Amino acid sequence: MTRGRRRLAAAVAALALLVGCSGSGEQRPEPSPAASSPASDRTAAGAEAARGFRSVHGYQATPIPVRLQIPRIGVDTSLDHLGRAPNGTVQEPSRWDVAGWYAPGPRPGDPGSAVILGHVDSKRGPAVFFRLRELRHGDQIDVTRADGATVRFVVQRTAKYDKRLFPTDEVYYPTLTPALRLVTCGGQFDATTGHYRSNIIVFATMRP
Amino acid sequence: MRSRTSPVALVILSVALAAACDAAPAGRPGSSAAPPPAEHAAASAASQQATKLAAAAQGSPQQRRAQFEQHLGLHALQAVRLMRSVVAAAPDFVPVASASLQDNTDALSQLVTTAYGDANGDRFTKLWKRHITDLLAYARGVTGKDASAKQASRTALLAGAEAYGAWLAQASSGRVKASDATAGVRMHVQELMDQADAYAARDYARAYRIERQAYEHMFTSGAALAKASITPELAVGFDTPPEQLRSAFAMLLGEHMELIIGAQRATFAGAPEFDAAAAQVNANTSALTKGMAAIVGPRKAAEFQSAWAEHVEGLLAYTAAVAANDEAAKATARQNLDGIAGRLALYLSDVVRKEVPVEPLTEAITAHDRHLTDHVDAYAAKRYDQALQLEREGYLQMLGVANTLVGAIQKTVRPQLPVGGSQTGGGGSAHHRHR
Repeated sequence: MTRGRRRLAAAVAALALLVGCSGSGEQRPEPSPAASSPASDRTAAGAEAARGFRSVHGYQATPIPVRLQIPRIGVDTSLDHLGRAPNGTVQEPSRWDVAGWYAPGPRPGDPGSAVILGHVDSKRGPAVFFRLRELRHGDQIDVTRADGATVRFVVQRTAKYDKRLFPTDEVYYPTLTPALRLVTCGGQFDATTGHYRSNIIVFATMRP
Repeated sequence: MRSRTSPVALVILSVALAAACDAAPAGRPGSSAAPPPAEHAAASAASQQATKLAAAAQGSPQQRRAQFEQHLGLHALQAVRLMRSVVAAAPDFVPVASASLQDNTDALSQLVTTAYGDANGDRFTKLWKRHITDLLAYARGVTGKDASAKQASRTALLAGAEAYGAWLAQASSGRVKASDATAGVRMHVQELMDQADAYAARDYARAYRIERQAYEHMFTSGAALAKASITPELAVGFDTPPEQLRSAFAMLLGEHMELIIGAQRATFAGAPEFDAAAAQVNANTSALTKGMAAIVGPRKAAEFQSAWAEHVEGLLAYTAAVAANDEAAKATARQNLDGIAGRLALYLSDVVRKEVPVEPLTEAITAHDRHLTDHVDAYAAKRYDQALQLEREGYLQMLGVANTLVGAIQKTVRPQLPVGGSQTGGGGSAHHRHR
């Protein structure tokens, strides 16, 4: 069948389906939604409505995060604000027992991956994210925002990455899906540099 | 007169427009004259069609994904609107909408054939055509308030979902589970039936809300359909964050185009339907603004929303003028749109730190505006062939706009991302205790 004939056949079939219900003794349909008032009246009313249309204005930024709670590993911390260090790396949290939110990135609950970092330990013992590596698929993470609202995330996976192969895009690249990344240190400790060789990253998505 | 666009030409057109986001529609019957530079760009794009076709046929997995996403999203919208026109008893519009849906089915079949081979392409085409026939039958059942016809169509649609699942499981050599594919199509047909029921009940808010959901679900299913056609080795890098961002913006920008078209047509159906359609336009603007906030932060996002709001209001002011048959208001609205395009282009160019200059952005926005103003002119004059052709061209153009914008965003954003891992350990005690 040629393309033109196929198109014609499709159109005829559609028309047959449309008008077919009025034949063979079937009940005649009631006036359709759009046909219940004179077309000119409806168009005039529609034009008036379109003339009065106002788009959404006054974008309200999502409140900043102020608290992080992870019941499964006993984390309950306020949040400091982190930025980028002069050498381009992310700033370290300044306190061992308090996590930090990467403030240039998305806010929790907004599209994109909000990133929260915390120390795993100090020279004196465990720090705020000491048990982060224990998180598993399905674990719950709550972030409270400045307006008091809580956004809930669910862990998808926890993974360890060599710092030299840190998955920057997976953690920081903008997306339009609300997500959360928790980052701390892990793996081998290099006593000569005083740093761990790996990062532990928790990937979580917002609960609908 | 409707242009006879073949499926192959549609694939070419999609790629050509993606490659030339500043190209105005070429040779549209009855459309106002495009500026010479844009005509030149369109002609230039056309001259590269053979090369582009080869690229499309052998395209990267990401290109294949983009094409599936776009055509599946369009399928949902065209099916919704065809069913709605059956319910609204619009006999002049139904055959044109049906032919347009058929064009998209041809394009999808071509994509499936390229991805899965001839035999699987043939089987897909049969399933898809059956699916459309059953959707139409359901709409007819709604129109006639015929419960048994509706039930029969529902049964056929759900059986079609099962058949599709079995087809994809086989075509993908088991990379997709039949039950998963079936579930996706079941959701799709449920949404299409629900929106037809809501429309018939004059619950326009629900009908238009479901329409947007149906589009988003089908658009996002394009990634799975494309991914299932390639080996796991080729799928590496298929769903990277930059690719996710491109896909999300393509979805939202295509949705913007289509929701404006929906609001334009709803204007002629009365205030309640317009209000429902306009609410979804606003929902799309909110989603786009939040997306921009993820990239440029809340302050710039607020600026974006203001610029975008002006754009949307300008388009619907023109629509109101057309519906009121007010030539003076039309001329004013056109003039306003030109100014708005310049301001929006300036903003977007600033956001991407001049990675895309103002001039081509202005041309792209102007071409987009012209698709929409010409569309409503054609629709008001009941030149439905032309209206739907403009809709298709305008929708396909948005993929090019998304690619261009996201490409520029990538160049702008990447240097600002933190470098390397974090120094979030200070003592080594975790190392000892965790061992």
